[in-house]
Amino acid sequence: MESISPFMSQTFVKVQFVVLMYFLAVNGWYLILLLSALLEMRRHMLMIADESRYLLLSSTLSPTISMLAPAFNEEATIEGSLRALLALQYPSLEVIVINDGSKDKTIQVLIERFDLVPVKTIYERRIQTKEVRNLYRSSTYPALVVVDKENGGKADALNVGLSFARGELVCAMDADTLIEGDGLQRMVRPFLYETDVVATGGTIRVVNGSEVEFGRVVRPRVPTQAMAGIQVVEYLRGFLLGRLGWNRLGGNIIISGAFGLFRREAVLSAGGYLDDTVGEDMELVLRLKRLSYEHKGPGKIAFVPDSVAWTEVPESARVLGRQRDRWHRGLADVLWRHRGMLFNPRYGVTGLVVFPYYAFVELLSPVIEATGLITLGIGLIFSLIDWNFAALFYLTAYGLGTALTAFTLILEEGSFHRYETFRDRALLLWWALLENLGYRQMTVYWRLRGLWNFLRGRKDWGVMERKGFQKPVGVAETT
Amino acid sequence: MINRNLLDIMMLIELALLVVAVAVFFAHGFWLFLTEKRTLRKMQAARDSLARLLTRGTINLEEIEGLRKIARDLQVAAFLEISRNLTGAGKDRLRFVAREVSLLDRTRKLCESRRWTRRLRGARLLARMDVADPIVEKLLADPHPAVRAQAAEWAAAHPSPTVISAMLTMLADPATQARFAVQDAMLRMGAIIAEPLAAFLETHSGLPAESGLRVAEALSEARFLPAGLRHSASDDAGVRMAAAKLLGAIGGAASAEQLIKLLKDSDSPVRAAAAQGLGRMHHWQAGSQLAECLRDSTWRVRRDAAFALRALGAPGALFLRRALKGNDAFAADMAQQILELPAAAAR
Repeated sequence: MESISPFMSQTFVKVQFVVLMYFLAVNGWYLILLLSALLEMRRHMLMIADESRYLLLSSTLSPTISMLAPAFNEEATIEGSLRALLALQYPSLEVIVINDGSKDKTIQVLIERFDLVPVKTIYERRIQTKEVRNLYRSSTYPALVVVDKENGGKADALNVGLSFARGELVCAMDADTLIEGDGLQRMVRPFLYETDVVATGGTIRVVNGSEVEFGRVVRPRVPTQAMAGIQVVEYLRGFLLGRLGWNRLGGNIIISGAFGLFRREAVLSAGGYLDDTVGEDMELVLRLKRLSYEHKGPGKIAFVPDSVAWTEVPESARVLGRQRDRWHRGLADVLWRHRGMLFNPRYGVTGLVVFPYYAFVELLSPVIEATGLITLGIGLIFSLIDWNFAALFYLTAYGLGTALTAFTLILEEGSFHRYETFRDRALLLWWALLENLGYRQMTVYWRLRGLWNFLRGRKDWGVMERKGFQKPVGVAETT
Repeated sequence: MINRNLLDIMMLIELALLVVAVAVFFAHGFWLFLTEKRTLRKMQAARDSLARLLTRGTINLEEIEGLRKIARDLQVAAFLEISRNLTGAGKDRLRFVAREVSLLDRTRKLCESRRWTRRLRGARLLARMDVADPIVEKLLADPHPAVRAQAAEWAAAHPSPTVISAMLTMLADPATQARFAVQDAMLRMGAIIAEPLAAFLETHSGLPAESGLRVAEALSEARFLPAGLRHSASDDAGVRMAAAKLLGAIGGAASAEQLIKLLKDSDSPVRAAAAQGLGRMHHWQAGSQLAECLRDSTWRVRRDAAFALRALGAPGALFLRRALKGNDAFAADMAQQILELPAAAAR
């Protein structure tokens, strides 16, 4: 203890206080987001009460939607996923599956199960992509188009899909995302209601543990497996608190790559998806937003909480770590590419509030959190700080977060309450309480690793292993 | 280092927040659990009661009294559920029962509320029960776009002259939601809207005209021809494009003549729409002008012109083959692609 100089000791304490203030400010901001989300949810629920969507379903004026489903090595799941897609309730729907040079039998499965026949077509190649090998149409499903192309990654596959799409709107998704039957009807509303909307996103929920039949979640359940269970809480907080809260404040800049609807012409004019980033979905949305400010055109990004898609999340720390590493690399890359927006009044609320939030809270929080945890440990060992301070640190950094998460669960309970049993509710709360005891600290490590890998220039996706919805099948998803 | 009191206060606040959150969370779940069975039972009783009232020739006052006593939300849910399956006399009877249980009075009050969310709910309920009430007509001019849109949805089934007049005015509505609902409602009204819409298009321009032309295109009646011709010379490119589509849908020599002129429009979507229109009409006399469009600077115009030529049959194919040997590489490429297409794909 005596070996540490008074200067060092003071510095330690100052660092701790700075970290403490940071967490206080972040949680204060989350509180604002929570209030904003509550107001937005109330408005939304009032808007949709007793709503009848059959007019939209049967209207000849409803815009055509082209679903873009990139598939890479999906032979095990593609048939089920595609049948569920073709059964979506929407009047004018086109489904484009882009086989991104799969090494397995994805294309053969598609040809056999959907009676595909090779066809010729004319398309405008406004975005440079890898070569298209073949184009197929189904003789049993007129709305289905399958593009077989050379491998180029998800962004490249989506760009090819954009070229072939005929719809005014395009829905970008993962081939294994389970979209609820009326998900598109709900998601298209902002496009019909406002002229300045360029993209809308829905809620992504965790499918692990739920009962799935014919590509539809028939009974949502909270998983008993810790890693997946905590992610259920994380996703609920991310969408119902984060996205919904930002929606009211006009600051949504993320549309999940698993389920997002875009105005096709806006995406094409912006140049499509970038294929040299792992955060291509966020990059596109931020670019659309940026261009809307620069050209004074439409650029509203809307979040529709009742439009739901289900996705499988990793259950092992190893795979989850890779995913979070990639997400953080993507975030860093996107923010770096558009760094000119930071504190730039030209970009309105996005430049002055949203971008700084993503830079200083989302991107840098693992650095600050890790600094706080390490200095806390050292401070306790050398008695530079007392246990009271450590307790205050924990309560500020994590305790407030847990309370806010519990309020997010109320938001879900008071609105959609998808999880119906007492067991599910108890599990949700259990995972919310456990989140800060180890899991959160692991995500700090993974995100730090992502930041480090970004600085090293790493741009690969890593391999995502999935169990599958009905029976365990291991499928490598991404390139 | 840290005041113990501060720590205690912090801990108390968090604990209180957590306890409140957990209590509300579980209390809501428990309340749902308790009410679910009771609700289901009452809903079933309401359904049975309504079904008996609607199918029997006589009105049973006891049944009506029973329905009046159930919770309002359940009452609304039961009426809306059954209303979907009824038309004509069945729906008349449903409205009678709704009136008897005071549901209609309450819904009317909702429509008069100062809160837009209540007016929206009121308009929704009256629309779904097809109640011809002048109060919804007033909502066509409501300050909130969602309420106007809902009133327009209702209007589709109640096309009186005053409603049609209000709907036409709404074609200029600044809110997309309301305009979409009005256009859709007009299409559902069908032929009855054609004459007033044609008169409206004669006197209006800009956004209302563009919205009206979309409806006119879907109705495709010859009486819209003067409006189509007039608006094809509009200053607004969106209006010209909508007019070109309308002319293509109507057909006829006058339309074809105007569409040929529009092939040289300064705006590419207008040129593309004109080419599409000529193809749709199979106007073979426009072959040479369409062939010129194969050299257009915009890909979409070249594609639509080539498709139009293909739709003309033998004369069009001749122009496409000529383009193959021409000195314009873009025209030759497009012609080649179109000629290679199988018949089904070309359609």
